[in-house]
Amino acid sequence: MDHKAHLRKITRGYNEFSYAPIPTKFTKFSRKCIIYQAWRWLVLNLKILRIVAFGHS
Amino acid sequence: MAKIVVLGSGIAGHTASAYLRKWLNKKHEVIVVSPNEYYQFVPSNIWVGVGRMKPEQIRFKLEPKYKKWGIDFRRAKATSIHPEGGNGSDRPYIEIKYVGQGKEGQTETIDYDYLVNATGPALRFDKTEGLGPDAGNTVSVCNFNHAAHAWEELQKSIKKMEAGENQNIVIGIGHPGATCQGAAFEYILNVYHEIQRRGLNDKANITFLTNEYEVGDFAMGGAYIKYGGYITPTKVFTESFLAEREIRWIKRAGVNKVEKGKIHYELLDGTYHEINYDFAMLIPAFSGPGLKAFDKNGEDITSKLFKPNGFMIVDADYTKKPYEEWSAKDWPETVQHPEYANIFAPGIAFAPPHTISKPFTSPNGTTIVPAPPRTGMPSGVMGKIVAQNIRDVVKGKRKLTNLKHKASMAKMGAACIVSAGYGMTNGMAATMTVFPIVQDWEKYPEYGRSLRFTLGEPGLAGHWLKWFMHYMFLHKAKGYPFWWLLPE
Repeated sequence: MDHKAHLRKITRGYNEFSYAPIPTKFTKFSRKCIIYQAWRWLVLNLKILRIVAFGHS
Repeated sequence: MAKIVVLGSGIAGHTASAYLRKWLNKKHEVIVVSPNEYYQFVPSNIWVGVGRMKPEQIRFKLEPKYKKWGIDFRRAKATSIHPEGGNGSDRPYIEIKYVGQGKEGQTETIDYDYLVNATGPALRFDKTEGLGPDAGNTVSVCNFNHAAHAWEELQKSIKKMEAGENQNIVIGIGHPGATCQGAAFEYILNVYHEIQRRGLNDKANITFLTNEYEVGDFAMGGAYIKYGGYITPTKVFTESFLAEREIRWIKRAGVNKVEKGKIHYELLDGTYHEINYDFAMLIPAFSGPGLKAFDKNGEDITSKLFKPNGFMIVDADYTKKPYEEWSAKDWPETVQHPEYANIFAPGIAFAPPHTISKPFTSPNGTTIVPAPPRTGMPSGVMGKIVAQNIRDVVKGKRKLTNLKHKASMAKMGAACIVSAGYGMTNGMAATMTVFPIVQDWEKYPEYGRSLRFTLGEPGLAGHWLKWFMHYMFLHKAKGYPFWWLLPE
């Protein structure tokens, strides 16, 4: 199912599923963009390392 | 010379025994008692459950590894703890029953100076009628054998869809009080991915069935994250992930019975429902392994060491109080037994003071609330601080009454990466970190957690991270070069 058809199906549902946010095409692109994701990979690693380091004494 | 007995070889037990062996010289004995032949990296069971990995890729044999490290391995189940000794001796000991090494059925006693109870959970499929692979109805991904079986069953459904049949797929939680919502969420996304890449979406009706009050609770009472210019609850983030994939969800559901093709559940409003399935993976309730305890006169003191659910009593505040009065201070810091100070229970083995999520009860009296998660990263961290504290005491730097190293779940964070797909570019993960795991409303009065280190982020980056962690943690568990430099 293409993106537009999927959105039509979701937003016309009038049930709980209809009120969840659906990502735009740009958001979907950024989730797969190698350069942006490489940057996020670095950020996530640093955040997790910080969590581990300060989480116990 | 100290004798340290570690019960269990999962993430907490294996971490504790590996560090103890590294830090203590060979004059000191480290004994591991475990019924398991293999170490398994549990988070990767999901990939076995969708046929992307073989069980051999996520496990290795314990006995040769421990032999190489100088750890005495007994492939056995512990049956009882005698913390005061007995039979005329004050020296504490445990009783074990072998399940392997050619000694099947034989019993033995092992005395100890320090006991690390890291037995992990018993999978209690029996708590829900008809649940689990043995009953022949639902499948599970709680260990590599279950996950491999889940993949066999999933393939049957995929073949039916390829032949033009519609399939109802239900994935979620199989008991009103069960935990591991993250694993169920990850599995449903992976099952969706496998169906979608085969172009079978129109044939699959996929449902997430959970005991959470809202999806995204993940047994941690949910979390608040900065996302898209707002501070939003993880409910929004999780619902978006499901809706984007046309996965429906049923929340506040306590599964009470499973039949062939039908799951019975009660909702928090007291109504009873059924859902039909062709393929279902439901996580069971967990309990402790059922260890008994006796004093030196042979009197049963199990209730002194364990809660009724079989998890061990530690340095937590177990006072019964309403949800509004729960505090971060209720949670244990050293996972040390309050009376028998040489006994520790890291990981799933310790009894939490209460749930993290707010408990709710239906008009029929059924409490529907996820149990607190204590797997993965928290288990590893607890295993390590137990090893550090025992090392310090053995080396005379500290006393058992004055331990230095602490790891409260209300002070440590955790990362939960829910990844679907396989390969470098063909994947997507929801990366979630929480800091701390248990909300600390005094330190973070607005949201209970640090918004700087609590995040939720979908993307390929998390998928790479999950891959990286699979290899990194297996490297660490196998004791390959510089393993101790890797975080838990």
